Amino acid sequence: MSLLELDAVTKRYRDDQLDRIVLRDVSLQLDGGELAVVWGVRGCGRSTLLRVAAGIEAPDAGAVRFDGRDLASHGDGVLGSGIGYCQRLSQGSAETAQEVVMLPLLAAGVALTGARSRAHDALERVGLAACAALRLSALTTGEAARLSLARVLVHDPRLVVVDDPIQGVDLLERDGILALLRSLADDGLTVLASATESTALSGADRTLTLSAGELRGPPPHGLAPVVALRSAGARRAGA
Amino acid sequence: MIAPPRTPAFLYTTPVMPAEREVQAAPMQSQVNWALLGLVIERPSYAYELARRFERTYEGVLALSSVSHVYTALAVLRERELIEELPGTRVGRQPKPHYQATANGLADYGQWLVGQVDEDLRRQRLFVLALARFIRDPHAALEILAGYEQACLTEAQNTPVPGHDGACAASAPELAERLAAEESRLAIGAKLTWVEYVRRELNALIEAQGARA
Repeated sequence: MSLLELDAVTKRYRDDQLDRIVLRDVSLQLDGGELAVVWGVRGCGRSTLLRVAAGIEAPDAGAVRFDGRDLASHGDGVLGSGIGYCQRLSQGSAETAQEVVMLPLLAAGVALTGARSRAHDALERVGLAACAALRLSALTTGEAARLSLARVLVHDPRLVVVDDPIQGVDLLERDGILALLRSLADDGLTVLASATESTALSGADRTLTLSAGELRGPPPHGLAPVVALRSAGARRAGA
Repeated sequence: MIAPPRTPAFLYTTPVMPAEREVQAAPMQSQVNWALLGLVIERPSYAYELARRFERTYEGVLALSSVSHVYTALAVLRERELIEELPGTRVGRQPKPHYQATANGLADYGQWLVGQVDEDLRRQRLFVLALARFIRDPHAALEILAGYEQACLTEAQNTPVPGHDGACAASAPELAERLAAEESRLAIGAKLTWVEYVRRELNALIEAQGARA
């Protein structure tokens, strides 16, 4: 059984003036320890896909299952346990890196000593142990991206969802973040990331593109049967 | 004012053409010969060692038909005065003459490298022209495009993250690996963006054809 399964998911945004299909019949299955990266141009629906996959937004049609259970029936507990959704941090904040990681734990009722210890472990995991006392404003964009991962990892998720982890990150820091994502998957976590830069696709177990709401990529298990173009055209003509 | 294109540094030093260098021969087409010249430029060496280095360096990219292929290639490079024997290395009972690059060899190699850009552009242009033949059947073009996109994604997937920590490359193979990976990663990005553009053009075409029908 797949850890995450998107089954024929459609998502649309509509109001008085707009009716736009952002995800169109999207299906995706991710196993434990898999690193999948979805590439797409700006505005293609990548962030929506990730929010739907993380259970933050509900699909209009289709289902999203995490560990075999429909996210629609999970309630609010999912993000705090099995799924970690990684958001960019505002670097204007006056908090230190350690506080950023600790605060959600303290808010959840974890004792100060335990929260501090877990925050230290998470910061160490992402290579930021030496930056624990630094304020967010003192961090580079790459360090801030690592910190946002630490804030998610501190909850021991099984699935990490990351929206454009290397966007705006310096060239020399970029590969370190990608290597970190790879190592998380190698440790058994499932990672679903989006990217506007194709460099983020390197080394992923699954690479996909999102265009006009349609998700495309190499088939996960072997190649699909080859269909002659002529017969495909004939089928269209007959359709 | 538009700045003139920059000339690579190695092209500033025009080698002196020796009088005996015959009338410009036809361009050397063999990729193996050029690749071998690159190895000699990297480090003067003898034939057998060059064959071993060739296999290690160009594994999966270029192949020698046999070790004797190196001897043939070296003969061509010498004939074209792109390499020369290193004095004092043809000694002993089993002489191993080492070869080093000449100034001409260095200059020609640089020009060949720059010429690869034109070759890449020509191949890409050919693909685009071939794809454009499907103007009457944009659906078929979209299917081909999907295959092209999948090939790009597979290549991206197979390109490892270099995984260095900011330190400079410790060896020529490591440097080559890093440069090749980065070139591949960036090129894939350009191709995927291009696929997105073509897809929109083809969909617009399908819409226009539908409206006319």
